[in-house]
This record gives sequence, C-alpha cells and structure tokens, in this order.
Amino acid sequence: MEKISGGEAVFAAACSTCHQPNGVGVRGAVPPLNDPAFMEPAVLTAVILRGVEGPIRVGRETFDGAMPGFAGQLTDQDIANVASYVRRTWGGADAGVDPGAVARARAQAAGAGPWRGGRDLTRVSPALLPQPAWSGPAPLPVDGAVLALINEGRGEALACSSCHGPQGQGGDPIPRLAGLPADYIAAQLDAFAAGRRRNDQMSGVARALGPTERRALADYYSRLAAPSTATPSLDGDRALGERLALRGDWSRDIPACFACHGPSGFGGGPRLPALAAQHPGYTAAQLSAWASGQRTGDPGGLMGEVAGRLSEQDRRAIADYLAGLPSSPATVPRNRR
Amino acid sequence: MSDPSETPRERTVPASPPSRGLIRDLLLAAAGGLAVLILGLLAVSLGWIDGRRERTSPSADAARPVAYFQPPPPSAIPDGPDGDAIRRGEALFMNTPANAAAFTGNSLSCVNCHLDGGRRANASPMWSAWGLYPMFRAKNGRINTMEDRIMGCFTFSMNAQASSSGGPPPAGHDVYRDLQAYMHFLATAAPSGVEMPGGGYPKVAQPAQGFDPVRGARVFAANCALCHGEDGQGRVNANGQPVFPPLWGPQSYNWGAGMARINTAAAFIKTNMPLGQTGRLSDQEAWDVAAFINSHERPKDPRQTGSVEDNARRNHTGGKTYYGQVVNGRLLGGGVR
Ligand code: HEC
Ligand code: HEC
Ligand code: HEC
Ligand code: HEC
Ligand code: HEC
Repeated sequence: MEKISGGEAVFAAACSTCHQPNGVGVRGAVPPLNDPAFMEPAVLTAVILRGVEGPIRVGRETFDGAMPGFAGQLTDQDIANVASYVRRTWGGADAGVDPGAVARARAQAAGAGPWRGGRDLTRVSPALLPQPAWSGPAPLPVDGAVLALINEGRGEALACSSCHGPQGQGGDPIPRLAGLPADYIAAQLDAFAAGRRRNDQMSGVARALGPTERRALADYYSRLAAPSTATPSLDGDRALGERLALRGDWSRDIPACFACHGPSGFGGGPRLPALAAQHPGYTAAQLSAWASGQRTGDPGGLMGEVAGRLSEQDRRAIADYLAGLPSSPATVPRNRR
Repeated sequence: MSDPSETPRERTVPASPPSRGLIRDLLLAAAGGLAVLILGLLAVSLGWIDGRRERTSPSADAARPVAYFQPPPPSAIPDGPDGDAIRRGEALFMNTPANAAAFTGNSLSCVNCHLDGGRRANASPMWSAWGLYPMFRAKNGRINTMEDRIMGCFTFSMNAQASSSGGPPPAGHDVYRDLQAYMHFLATAAPSGVEMPGGGYPKVAQPAQGFDPVRGARVFAANCALCHGEDGQGRVNANGQPVFPPLWGPQSYNWGAGMARINTAAAFIKTNMPLGQTGRLSDQEAWDVAAFINSHERPKDPRQTGSVEDNARRNHTGGKTYYGQVVNGRLLGGGVR
C-alpha cells in the first residue's frame, strides 16, 4: 500500500487520534506509550501489525479496549518508521526498528487476528509479565432466519451478501456494513423503505423487509468485525484529509469529522456511524449527495450542513484518508456509565 | 473556565461584531507610532490582515461579514525549547485529564469549552484572553494574573477537588507555564490590553419569556441528546475514550464554574452548539436549554465550607443560577461525586 513517509507523519496520521500526539494516551481508556517492556522492537511490531483486544497491563494500569491492527494499512517501511519514532521519542531507545524484521513478523502474523490481551503478547516477550488473563467475548448468537436473508435472500430482498460481501465488508461503490452502529443501520433501512433515502438497488431490497427483519439485520451487521478491504483510489490529498478528520477547518465552519464520528473514525454514538475503512467512492458519493440535497434525513441536519461546506477536493481527500484507516472493532459505542 | 459565580468581568462585547475598520482602529488604539508600523507589518506577514476572512456573524441581528484575528496555525510552532513548551501547552489544552492527571477531577479538557484548540472566535479564544491579563477583578478585589485565572479553571471547570492531588496545580507549576506558552503563541501579533472582536462568548440578553428548564428539556431532547446522551452524561467509545463531554453529573464542571451560570451557558450554547450549527437555536431556546442543563446536580462548589444556603449568599449572587434554589422539590448545590 502507498507509503505515508517518516515515522512522525505515520504516527500523526494513524496513531495520534487514540494515543494522542504526545503519546500519553487517554486517561482510563488508551494506554501511554512509555512502558519499556512494550517498547521492545518485537513487541511494538507485533502490536502494530495485529492490534490487541482485551485486558492488558501497561505500566501500573490495566486497560481493556481494542486497538486495530495495521498490517493492511502500513508497509514494512512505515511500520519500521513509526515503531522507531515511538521508541526514540518516548521509549528512551536509540536503536530503530529494521524493516526486514517487520517483514518477517508480518509473514508470521499472516491471517492472525488481534492479540488476545496482554497474556497472549507474552509469547512475543516474557518481559511483559505479569499480564491479566483473557476471557473471550460472548459468542455471537446466530439467527438462522437472518443468515438466510443475508446469504440467500427472499424475492425482492436480494441476498445482502451478494452485494455487501460475505462479511459485510462491501466493495466500492457498495458500502461496508460491518461494525456500523445498529441504530444507524436500522434508520438507513427504514429510510430506504420509506423513500427518504433513494437508491435503485437498496430501495426495493429494504421495502421487501419487515421492520423486525430490518432491526435484526442491523443488529447482526453492527456486531461483525471484518478487516478492511478499502483502498484509497480517488487520488485525494491524504494530508488534507487527515487535517479535516482530526482538526476540521473552523475557518469554513467545518468541525473535525472525528469530533462527531469518534476518534479514529470508529463511530461516535448510535446515530453517528463509523467512517474508517469505508470505500472511498462510496464516501465521496455520499458527501456529494448531501451537498446536492439528494441525501437528507440526517438527524438535526448535522451532516448535511458539514457536507455542504466541503469542496470536491476535500471530498476526495477525506474519502481516501478514511479508506486508509483500519476498520473498527466489532464493539459499538456505549453510553458513559 | 471557571470563573465562578462572581459577576462576570465587564466585557464590551459588541452586539454585532464590528467591521474591519474597527480592527484597524483597535490596532491603532493598541499602540502608537512605530509600534503600529511593526505590529502592522507583523500582522501582514502573519496573514492577519492579508489573510483575514469574511465570516457571517453569529449574532442574530448582524448578517454583516466580519474579520476576526487569525491565530497562527499549528504548523507555525517553532522548533527548539520554546516550541516544546508550546506543544506541551497545546497537549494540556487538548487532553487535560491525561496531561494534568493529578489536577483534573473530571473528564473535561479545556478545548471542550474553548473550541478549536482555543482558536475559535466567540468561543472565548485564548488569543483574545492573553492580552487582557493581568486584570483587576471585582470578585477578589485584586489584580489577577493569567496564572490566577487558569488556577480558577482547574478549581471549577476541571473540578480539581476530585483529582488525585485534591486541588489545582500549585502556584508556579509548569502546567501554568506551558499553558501560557501556548496562549502566547496563539496571540502572536495580537494587540494587548484591548477587547478584541470575537473574544469571550457573545452575551445573549435574557429573552422576554425568561428561562424555563421544562421548555429546556424539550430543546435538549431535540438538539443535544443525539451527541451528549439522553442522560446528559456524554458518550465514550468502545475504548472508554470520550467522544462527547458530559453536561452534568460527577464528570462535569462543578457548581462554582462559569458554565454553571445560566446566562454564561446560554451565551456559549447560542454561538457554539449544536456543534457545527452556529445560530441554529433562538435566544429563547439557548436560555431554556442552559437552564435545563444547569438545573441538574453536579460536583459541589469547592468554596462551600458551611451550608449551601450560606455559600449561595457569599458566592452566588451575580449571574443567573439555580445554586441554592429549590427545583422540583430539591435543593440544588449539594453536589455529586
Ligand atoms: C483506535 C485507537 C487506537 C489507534 C488508532 C492505535 N492504538 Fe495502540 N492501543 C490502543 C488501545 C485501546 C490499546 C490497548 C488495547 C487493549 O486494551 O487491549 C493500545 C495499545 C498499544 C500498545 C501496547 C501498550 C502500550 O501502550 O505500550 C502499543 C505499543 C500501541 N498501542 C501502539 C500504537 C501505534 C504505534 C499506533 C499507530 C500505528 C496505534 N497504537 C494506534 C488504541 C489505539
Ligand atoms: C443489489 C445490490 C445490493 C443488495 C442486494 C443489498 N444492498 Fe445494501 N446497498 C447497496 C448499495 C449500492 C448501497 C449504497 C446506496 C447509496 O449509495 O445510497 C447500499 C447501502 C446500504 C446501506 C446504507 C449503508 C450506509 O453506510 O449508510 C445499508 C444499511 C444496506 N445497504 C443494507 C443492506 C442489507 C441489510 C441488505 C440485505 C437485506 C442489502 N443492503 C442488500 C447495494 C445492495
Ligand atoms: C456535527 C456532527 C458531524 C460532523 C462534524 C461530521 N458528521 Fe458525518 N455524519 C453525521 C451524522 C449525524 C451522520 C448520520 C447521517 C444519517 O443518519 O443519515 C453522518 C454521516 C456521515 C456519512 C455517511 C456514512 C455512511 O455510511 O453512509 C459520511 C460519509 C460522513 N458523515 C462523513 C463525514 C466527514 C467526511 C466529516 C468531516 C468533514 C463529517 N462527516 C463530519 C454528523 C457529523
Ligand atoms: C466547562 C467549560 C470550560 C472548561 C472545561 C474550561 N473553561 Fe475556560 N472559561 C469558561 C467560561 C464559561 C469562561 C468565562 C468566559 C466569559 O465570561 O466570557 C472561561 C474563561 C476562561 C479564560 C478567560 C477568558 C477571557 O477572555 O478573559 C481563560 C484564560 C480560560 N477560560 C482558560 C481555560 C483553560 C486553560 C482551561 C483548561 C485548563 C479552561 N479554560 C477550561 C469555560 C470553560
Ligand atoms: C453534533 C454533536 C453535538 C450536539 C448535537 C451538541 N453538542 Fe455540545 N458539544 C459537542 C462536542 C464535540 C463538544 C466539545 C467540543 C470540543 O471539544 O471541540 C461539546 C461541548 C458542549 C459544552 C461544553 C462542555 C461541557 O461538557 O460542558 C456544552 C455546555 C454543550 N456542548 C452543550 C450542548 C447543548 C445545550 C446542546 C444542544 C443545544 C449541544 N451541546 C449539542 C457536540 C455536540
């Protein structure tokens, strides 16, 4: 995949939204990047390639979140650069990380999902001990009727998987559905069915589904995690896209996209969908559709107003930047308790 | 911030922001002779004059375009020790709980109320505040430095009493130096000692119908709950990372904060909320929803030593507040933890 450049730039584009530009993380949520045991080249590389989910002890604190893997988004050189940057800036180390070693770790990691908590990572380096044990997530309940709709379809309700892919990963210009919030998906299906959102392919499908079916499908897709299959392809200026995503452009009244769509574009709430790893042609088309008034019905007109302020160049830039991010984990945002 | 229930300092916020001519006059008023020339050159080279842009005024009556001061972009932060201090200050401003962990007792960051990293005009930007201090404040009858002011922010807006150290950073702490380095940077080439257009939160006169939390609850459900949650507790993502800040309850600003005054909250909300939709609410709606959010319990006023009623008489006579009042049969001000 396309190279972003030096370690600092990779960090800003791919890591800073969660670990923060100065690597301190977010209190009680995202760990800081200063625990020497995690700054070892092999550990850093392993975490960046595969990501990690579940309980992990960093410093004296335990975290229980989800970091995506970047194997599909970053080249060996990018990973070597960003790992070297992290090590030198916060890990107190001089020696960098060698791209050759990243390539070997990548070969080993092929096909493996995220590390299961800190305990799993001790296989890379026993120096990480002690680490909390992993207790797997509750298994997804599988509803046969929902699976039949997805894989076989029924009359006008064509099989979802025939267009959105077997894992809901989509394929440009058909959107990824995996990991979008259930309320958002249900609202879109309702909108297609009621004609508030129009699309030749989706309208008929949605009309052929009952309200309970629409909700069940929404629940199903919201709980899927599928690796990204999106590729930046619009020749967009990804540095501009990154700026708009992380900071916005308030001189044009454009808030940061992630202010509403959540850090890393993983979603901001039940009606604020994830954008990360969405296919760029689809994203850009939706932004144009709002700007031209073809897509409406967004709650509070929040998205329409923002989209109306974006130029064609902005749309391509942001769509390509988002396509280069890893996909969100299956977890959906929850209310603070 | 923070600054408590004192009578807000007299700020002559123009009802409708002034035009460019006034900015030139301000510049002239701010300095004399050679200084004007230098300031002027600086302003031009920094893009203040040249780069000034037109913006629709947020105040309801003035659709006239107005130019605001333009702080330098993040990319203008210099290298070297000065730049490092500015970057530390920026990090403190953007992610206060992690960077000032010992002094932050809630999940808020400065940027939640001073938008766009303290750059946004009419969101009490730091470039306008910088040149106004030291300032005489009627509240304590003495000259207040910027450090005093920021200490107030920690005490009230960041609810420092609930932090691990139990209070704001002690006088002279690096937190103050770094935050001031950042403010000083944002105010590069700004005049000092004058009120600048876009400073503070533009006041909104109390509307004819006064304010009413019952009407405000409806405004809240329709315009705010999507992001801040039906229960006003904000939202965090799957990692527990804040996406939308809480508006009341234990993780919010305390009863001594400026935002706890209904008039101040109405001013903030009218120009800045819903995010990205400046001017969407009427004055009446802004006051009603401000009354609604400030009619909920939040952490106690740290100045309270005796009873709530006693503290209400001592510290809550300026501005509009429910502190020490009975709403729905409950005395407000007792605090939550
Ligand atoms: C979506 C948010 C997110 C992004 C983006 C992200 N991380 Fe993480 N990272 C986390 C979380 C959350 C954890 C802890 C995971 C857990 O609790 O299982 C973590 C853990 C880590 C760890 C191990 C613990 C530590 O703090 O030392 C390292 C190293 C790390 N991340 C590096 C990176 C690097 C480098 C990047 C960019 C290439 C990155 N992360 C991008 C959220 C993120
Ligand atoms: C014939 C191809 C096709 C089939 C079959 C199909 N879709 Fe779609 N779907 C699309 C296209 C194309 C879009 C993009 C519509 C647009 O551009 O507005 C879409 C959009 C969507 C969206 C909106 C996504 C978003 O991010 O806003 C949802 C939700 C959705 N489809 C769900 C389903 C479900 C559930 C099924 C099965 C019951 C299904 N689709 C079957 C082609 C299809
Ligand atoms: C003020 C809040 C807000 C901001 C800021 C914002 N969005 Fe949105 N966005 C929304 C909402 C709400 C929706 C859901 C719309 C709906 O339900 O129809 C949405 C939906 C979208 C969608 C449709 C997703 C899909 O799967 O079809 C895209 C694409 C999008 N936003 C892109 C962006 C980009 C790019 C930015 C930054 C330039 C941005 N948004 C900033 C509120 C926001
Ligand atoms: C809960 C919202 C909130 C938070 C969080 C907050 N502030 Fe404020 N701040 C305010 C309000 C309200 C005012 C008063 C503005 C007015 O009266 O015009 C204010 C005023 C200020 C002022 C004086 C502005 C002027 O023009 O005189 C400074 C400086 C300031 N805040 C800095 C900070 C810093 C630094 C932080 C983080 C440590 C912070 N604030 C956090 C709401 C907040
Ligand atoms: C589109 C999402 C969104 C909507 C809708 C929204 N807000 Fe906010 N609000 C935010 C964000 C994001 C921030 C923090 C801004 C930042 O950090 O840049 C915020 C900050 C605030 C703050 C200051 C911080 C705090 O927690 O006290 C208040 C007060 C507030 N909002 C009130 C409201 C009110 C009242 C409404 C409804 C009229 C509203 N908001 C609607 C997203 C939203």
